[in-house]
Amino acid sequence: MTPAEGPPVRAKFDKARIGSGILLTLAAMCLMAIAFLALEITRELRYLSSANSDNVHWTLSQAEVEFLELQHAVDRSLHSDNSGLDRVVEEFDIFYSRMDTLARGQLYAPLRRDPAFIEPVTAVRTQLDAMIPIIDGPRDQLRDRLDDFARELHPLRLEVRDLATAGLKHFARSSDASRVSVSVTLLRLGIVTGVLLLALAILLFNYRRVMFQIARRGRELSDAYARLNTILETSLDGVIVAEMDGQILSFNPAAERMFGLEAPDVIGRGMGELILSDPERESDAAGMERARPNGPLHVIGQGRVKLEAKRANGDLFPLELAIERASTREGTLAVAFLRDISLRVAAENELVQARDRALAGEQAKSEFLAMMTHEIRTPLNGVLGNLSLLKGTQLGTAQARYVRNMEISGELLMQHVDAVLDVARFESGVETMRADVVHLGQLIQDIVDSQSSGAEAHGNSLQWGWVGAPLTWVRIDASRLQQVLLNLVGNAIKFTRNGRITIEAEANEAGAEMRLDLRVIDTGIGIALDDQARVFEDFQTVKSSQTRAIGGTGLGLSIARRFVQAMEGEIGLESTPGEGSVFWLQIPVEVAQAQDAPAPDATAAVPARATPALNVLLVEDDDINLEIARELLERMAHQVSCARDGQQAVDMAERTRYDLILMDIRMPVMDGLEATRRIRASEGASRDVPIIAFSANVLPEAKERFAAAGMSGFLGKPLKGAELSDLLAEFFASPSEAASAPSEAPPAVPRNPLEALAIRHSDELQQFFDWLDGVSVAAAEIAARAHKLAGSSAAFGQADLHAALIALENAAEGASDTQSLAPEIAHARMAWKAAPTPQLG
Amino acid sequence: MRLIQSVFAPALALVIALASAPAMAEPLPKPTGPVLLTISGDIEITNTDEGTAAFDLAMLREIGQSEIETTTIWTEGRHRFTGVSLKALLERVGAKGKMLKATAINDYSVEIPTSDAVRNGPIVAYEMDGQTMSRREKGPLWVIYPYSSSSDYRSEVIYSRSIWQLDRISLE
Repeated sequence: MTPAEGPPVRAKFDKARIGSGILLTLAAMCLMAIAFLALEITRELRYLSSANSDNVHWTLSQAEVEFLELQHAVDRSLHSDNSGLDRVVEEFDIFYSRMDTLARGQLYAPLRRDPAFIEPVTAVRTQLDAMIPIIDGPRDQLRDRLDDFARELHPLRLEVRDLATAGLKHFARSSDASRVSVSVTLLRLGIVTGVLLLALAILLFNYRRVMFQIARRGRELSDAYARLNTILETSLDGVIVAEMDGQILSFNPAAERMFGLEAPDVIGRGMGELILSDPERESDAAGMERARPNGPLHVIGQGRVKLEAKRANGDLFPLELAIERASTREGTLAVAFLRDISLRVAAENELVQARDRALAGEQAKSEFLAMMTHEIRTPLNGVLGNLSLLKGTQLGTAQARYVRNMEISGELLMQHVDAVLDVARFESGVETMRADVVHLGQLIQDIVDSQSSGAEAHGNSLQWGWVGAPLTWVRIDASRLQQVLLNLVGNAIKFTRNGRITIEAEANEAGAEMRLDLRVIDTGIGIALDDQARVFEDFQTVKSSQTRAIGGTGLGLSIARRFVQAMEGEIGLESTPGEGSVFWLQIPVEVAQAQDAPAPDATAAVPARATPALNVLLVEDDDINLEIARELLERMAHQVSCARDGQQAVDMAERTRYDLILMDIRMPVMDGLEATRRIRASEGASRDVPIIAFSANVLPEAKERFAAAGMSGFLGKPLKGAELSDLLAEFFASPSEAASAPSEAPPAVPRNPLEALAIRHSDELQQFFDWLDGVSVAAAEIAARAHKLAGSSAAFGQADLHAALIALENAAEGASDTQSLAPEIAHARMAWKAAPTPQLG
Repeated sequence: MRLIQSVFAPALALVIALASAPAMAEPLPKPTGPVLLTISGDIEITNTDEGTAAFDLAMLREIGQSEIETTTIWTEGRHRFTGVSLKALLERVGAKGKMLKATAINDYSVEIPTSDAVRNGPIVAYEMDGQTMSRREKGPLWVIYPYSSSSDYRSEVIYSRSIWQLDRISLE
């Protein structure tokens, strides 16, 4: 592992490099200065050593000597014979030569500029030149003139003396100048040497500083290396450094533990062959192959990659791997960080399994709930159907009361089961959103209309209105919105006595989309703050002395919440106990045009009416349901044939032409859908008659499936006379009959048997209190009738009346005369006046 | 240069010795004109009874001519000096010894080491600018070094060895 050179370190080195560069430049400059000085000094020395001077003093004094030699030779010659003359000539020549040198020699050029020197020289030379004819003439002549010659020479003595003195003075001066020049040069040399020494000192100082820096950096580097090593040694992740061809360079302890390999054994071997499982190895080899050229790497630089790795003992385990490229001076290396993620993967798998199990459980629960409620509905239908049949028979008073009670309880149970089924269906995801174009005002008005009687029964007023500009036609899941509003309004009515219930609608534009606010405001008992949060949960009812008498599954609000959320809306409430509640909801709506609305069903408005007697094939496997349906059809004067499964139905339809086939869906041997398909596909007698599905499954999807199978219509279970006759009218009523229908009396049987029961209950109460006003009434009779009415009052949600009637019954049972019952009767009458309209649920 | 000279001097001397081997045997004729130079002392070839070698101008010319063109500190301008190289002259007389003493007409004398006598070294000049030199013009013989060719020849020592009006050489 080569310790990475971080950029700061590199920067430091650069700085040091620049520093040493400066030092080198300085040193070079010093060397140049030294060289320059050396040249300077050499030049100076050469100047000093190369004497352009000869021995000047000697030469000058030699001039005097040679002059004296000449004089001496002349003097001697005067006193001797001719032999001395040669000597005179020789001395003359020598002196002449000397003077010629002084007059013309380069050496004396500066000296000659001095008049004190050149004047005597010129004087002497003029005299000597004048003497040359005599010297060069015959010796006799020279001898004759030797006296004159001596005399003429004599004054030259002073001149020679002067020129020598002048010369010496001059050279003394120039020697001084030369000394000054030398001392200046030496001074300069001294200064430069000083500078040089200073430069050397700085150089030395810098050198020492650089040395210290290098030493410190070395220490830092080794510290960093040690730290890095410690990190690598103690790292929990495996770290492998490899060449770009996968050859391992370093293998840390964590990697050793992970793979069960020893570092010395793996260094130099290929990373892929050691740690990867066979299939991974192939791709890794390819990756490394690609890695060597400059192209993108297979795994390198891709962040975390999951691989299957192999331990030394052959165990395979999931490995998380990240490889990065590291550029070093020796070339590019791959640094791999590895993490054994087998525990994490196991935990993840466990979590996924747990979640799947939970989801499956949830699904199973929903399905179970849906199935169970469905299974409950079927026998309950049987009970209710038989009750309705029983009601049509001759019954005693007590029997009729029991049948009514059973019917009330049965309908209540059916409502509860339906509510649970709604939730279960919603939760199982079977329900899907539908978008219908509806008139919002109409929708709300319908709800108000349908609930106003219930509201009045509790002494409540129910009204609605728009806040701000109204919305008209909108595209919305109308059935759900209806359900939500029904639940909210029903709830408000339930918990409000002699109050006011108001529905407020408000359209709000929120950016591009339109939102509808609906508020159901009541002046009821309110909900305590602590309970507000949970009222939208499943099976939550608020327990208090005021609400004890008010029943319910506690599903109404939770269904409302689910539907609102499914419509991507919000629902909430504000409430003050004792003053009232506001349930609000906000949902997005899409503004639509009136023509988008489905054409109103022409037949829907047509009231139920008589249809001609029909030949009906009833297909149903359940005996009770079969009996109920047959009974109903026969009462309506239709002729009924029965089949117990799909196959029978197909066979019978083959042979006989029926006017109508009522087909159950779920049956043994062959189900209703298959039977329908076969009938439609056959050449049988009834292949084109209306086939009506007859099922407890009322989901829209189911209806679509029925239509796809070739069914013409749908009837829900339990079969109700009104629905049946509506449907038959749809298929068989002639227009002329339809036109005449309104003139007939309205149908005797109310569309909802519960409504009939409620009306009947109200009538009975009226009769009871009228009868009490009568003169002679037996106490026992009062008790019996009060008991009967108390039961139905409870069923119709008239809790106070129920309590008052029970009290009357108890009082009447022990009473000797009716007079003593007056307070109880009065109390019951008051409760009756205050009681809400009879309502189930 | 000094160093080089001192290193190569023995070698040169050997070369010189070999080269001049036949010349050594050659006797020196008697001078016919006026004697300009007398060489005495430790020499092998002589032509006088006193055991010296006497040269007239013709004999000097016969040894071989060398020319130096240089300035001097004693004259003005550049001059062409013609003469016999000191090296050839010493070889001609089979001179031995390390030092020679050169003396002028006025008895001025200097010592010149024989190591100075090298090729392209000093000459004993008898002509300046093609004219023989009179005594007044520092003739008839003047030891001239090639001052202009090297700064080594521009020292006070060399200047002092540049003797003019030379008439005697003695080898010691």
